Amino acid sequence: MNHSPDYIRVCEVEKYYGTDANVTKAVDRVSFCVEKGEFVGVMGASGSGKSTLLNMLATIDRVTAGHIYYESVDITELSEDALSEFRKKNLGFVFQDYNLLDTLTIEENIILALTLQGGKRDAIQESCREILKLLGIEEIREKFPYQVSGGQKQRCACARALINHPRLLLADEPTGALDSKSAQTLLETFTELNQRMEATILMVTHDAFSASYCGRILFLKDGKLFHELVRGDKSRRVFLQEILDVLSLTGGELTDAE
Amino acid sequence: MLNKLAFRNMKRSAKDYLIYILTMTVVTALMYSFNSLFFQNELAASFMTNGVDVMTVMIGLATVFILLITAWLIHYMIRFMLEKRSSEFGLYLLLGMKKKAVARLYIRENLLLGTASFFLGILLGVLLQQILFSILFSMVRMEYHLQISLNPWTILTTFLLYAACYLLSLGRCRRKFKRMNIYSLMNAKRQNEEIREKHEGGKRILLPLSIAGILMFWAVFEKLSNTLEIMLFLIGLVVSIYLFYAGLSAWIICYVRKKGRGIYRGQNLFLLRQFASKVRTMQFTMGTLTSLFTLALLGASIALMFNDYENTVLEDKYPFDVQIYSADTEEDFAEERAVLEADTTVTGYYSYHIYTDEADQVNTWMLTHLDAWRERYCNADGSPNRTDIEKMLRTEGVYYPYDTYMGLTDYNHLRQMIGLEEIQMSAEEYLVQIKPRLYSEIQEIGGDLQIADGTGERMLKLREIVDDFFSQDGHNGADYLIIVPDAVLERMHPYYSELVVQTKGEIPMGLEDRLDALAGGSRYDLENMDEFYDELDEFMEGDYITDPDLCAGSDMIVVNASVNPVRENLIPEVKYLLSSVILPLFYMGLVFVCVAVTVLSVQQLSDSAKYKFRYDVLAKLGCGRSRIRLLILQQLAAYYLCPAILAIIISGRMILFVSRAFVTMTGVPAAAGSFFLRSILLFFGIYLVYFVVTYAGFKRNVEEKGQRMTG
Repeated sequence: MNHSPDYIRVCEVEKYYGTDANVTKAVDRVSFCVEKGEFVGVMGASGSGKSTLLNMLATIDRVTAGHIYYESVDITELSEDALSEFRKKNLGFVFQDYNLLDTLTIEENIILALTLQGGKRDAIQESCREILKLLGIEEIREKFPYQVSGGQKQRCACARALINHPRLLLADEPTGALDSKSAQTLLETFTELNQRMEATILMVTHDAFSASYCGRILFLKDGKLFHELVRGDKSRRVFLQEILDVLSLTGGELTDAE
Repeated sequence: MLNKLAFRNMKRSAKDYLIYILTMTVVTALMYSFNSLFFQNELAASFMTNGVDVMTVMIGLATVFILLITAWLIHYMIRFMLEKRSSEFGLYLLLGMKKKAVARLYIRENLLLGTASFFLGILLGVLLQQILFSILFSMVRMEYHLQISLNPWTILTTFLLYAACYLLSLGRCRRKFKRMNIYSLMNAKRQNEEIREKHEGGKRILLPLSIAGILMFWAVFEKLSNTLEIMLFLIGLVVSIYLFYAGLSAWIICYVRKKGRGIYRGQNLFLLRQFASKVRTMQFTMGTLTSLFTLALLGASIALMFNDYENTVLEDKYPFDVQIYSADTEEDFAEERAVLEADTTVTGYYSYHIYTDEADQVNTWMLTHLDAWRERYCNADGSPNRTDIEKMLRTEGVYYPYDTYMGLTDYNHLRQMIGLEEIQMSAEEYLVQIKPRLYSEIQEIGGDLQIADGTGERMLKLREIVDDFFSQDGHNGADYLIIVPDAVLERMHPYYSELVVQTKGEIPMGLEDRLDALAGGSRYDLENMDEFYDELDEFMEGDYITDPDLCAGSDMIVVNASVNPVRENLIPEVKYLLSSVILPLFYMGLVFVCVAVTVLSVQQLSDSAKYKFRYDVLAKLGCGRSRIRLLILQQLAAYYLCPAILAIIISGRMILFVSRAFVTMTGVPAAAGSFFLRSILLFFGIYLVYFVVTYAGFKRNVEEKGQRMTG
């Protein structure tokens, strides 16, 4: 394995739940690398361990064994406080249920992410304006989350996740709660962010259509990594077919694929 | 099945609403222990006044208010839990349960919850009652034997009161159920979460408006004179309090929207928004809580004032065991001696005269120099207003229109009797014996008095002002005595006769009344509370005392009851009367504070699921655990302090005014602000307990199961 350009390295990571008598291996000796500027998807059925894996990458869950390196930093060795500091500086999150604060407006949700880092007022206003424009949610900046559509909420969540220029954007089923039109828009946004801003994205999904936007897909089953697909120069339609083939081989879910 | 479900739900609610149960337990305990005062016969019999036990009346009055507040709490909680659990009830309906059955289930749960806290409360109440009684009995110097027993009447009364609170609130709850449908039940929660921000700019004006209202209240408070004004004023004040919260949240929202500088610092944006939205949805409740806190602070402060009086001034006010007055200068006190010797073991008598020169230079000086009167009896240029002074001294019922003198020999003899050092002075000197609380006001008196010596040729010089307690409520003068060399008395004549008695051993109850009967009845019937309070009102309104039978010197708040004070009779009697003011005030204060803080705490705790989500989001944005704990603390503190501080500001004005008057008039050796400070401390003690419990519970709820991602 070539180590030098590796941005994120996951080495032999295991995660067990339960007591001695009844152990569930949620993640079982998983290893992979992510390069800078990649758009990686993690696919798997419910219970395959993909969310657990994401949580460990996101530093909000601890590994049972193994290591996760962000360049030279081994986050499995960091203390709780160091982890939240690390999270603040390096990671951005987008979740299925948006995780926006309902007492804050769209714009304020983004501002908060910056003020928590202790930025200057003018700089905050400037970068906030930029990102709102980039994601096309300028008009709704004054609105509260409950007043806007799911797609808009998710774009706000993306804006919040990206505003600090994180090393890695983690997305957990970002299209899960969206209608197909909004989902498509969001995924196009992801692709654009990936290409234009060179954002490194790791997206967990069980939906083949969403996954087809990725550059590379890792397939998880029963906590183990069992397959990998690379899009290369293939068109998205071809790539989608490949994904569906893998899923049909493994008895995966097809219902969401179009 | 329904019973089982109700029981299970009750157990679950008990965990969520632990604070509510605690408060209901405490309220029941307080109710039980105070209600037991209705059924204790020993004290009531000893201190019965015209067939009425004042304590019973006062506690009864307090109970009415407490009943109302408790009913409000229960009503609030029942409605609140209903809202929180509406989707669950919607589910029951969806599963085919009848609306009536669901309502019955909910009511049954609440009754179970109520019954549990009732029994816990009674247990606690039995303990509390022992404490209350031993304090009360030792206050009135009677022996109390601890007896852990349940009085069925007390339990029954407490139960009826408690049940009344519940029935009032549950009846309304049933009606609420009737109007609901499945859809609205299942969506009730979602509706609550919407943040409506409309006309915030306009509503913002409410904040300065309400602050202006409160400032106006500060300014005009002392000038209120009639009931109508006071009513209007109170209404205005209450409206200001309610508007304050609407204005406050609008102001914060506008500030955040305008992107004020402050929101760009750390977690301020989150805190401000959080606080504003909470205050917005809770503005009415917050207003009510502020009013409750204000009342509690007022009550506690006034109770503390009387309590201080009881423990300081009252203990020292009557240095002689028995003191008997007679207007007859030839009096030999034979009848009184006979009564005393029959009832007590007398160890010594001393009978003497108070003298007068039939002039009023000292009285005039007092009227024109003491704070209580100066403004009334001085002309604009500071000279005495003779007409008013004459009128006051002759017709308005002072103890003695002429100045009162005592010889040095008598004075020293009396001092010796009460264990004070004798005072030596030359034939050219005189002393002023004054009530301690007036000491500081009469420092200038020496320069103004003209008292001639025995020969009438030379003027005496003031040797010193003495401020020992010396029975100066009409016995050894009213407020003051001028002590002169014996030779000077030859120029004067006896004014009235006094007898002081020292006794040993126990003094029977009612000795005082028998002595008073010999003198032809009480000079003023203090025990008639109505009259007493009328006088007090008049005083407060600036009319001073007009009753010709009431001779109070310059003591105004607590006035001597009998002609012939028998210390061991009088002190317990006055203390019992004062206790009947102090105890109900504390009782109300405690209940009000507990109820108010409970509402605050329950509000916060039951929202913790929502907060858990918010703090999880913050954690994902990189907030460490310690920072989140700090945030929780700040958020809770802001929420708890806001109504408390507003209440302190509002009640502070009233309390400082009243306590200043109280200190001036009773001579309690305390700074006027101390009562306020002490009631704030007391209040914050309770507050802190609830705050800590809430903070701990809140933190536990937020940190439960660690910080996990959803989905």
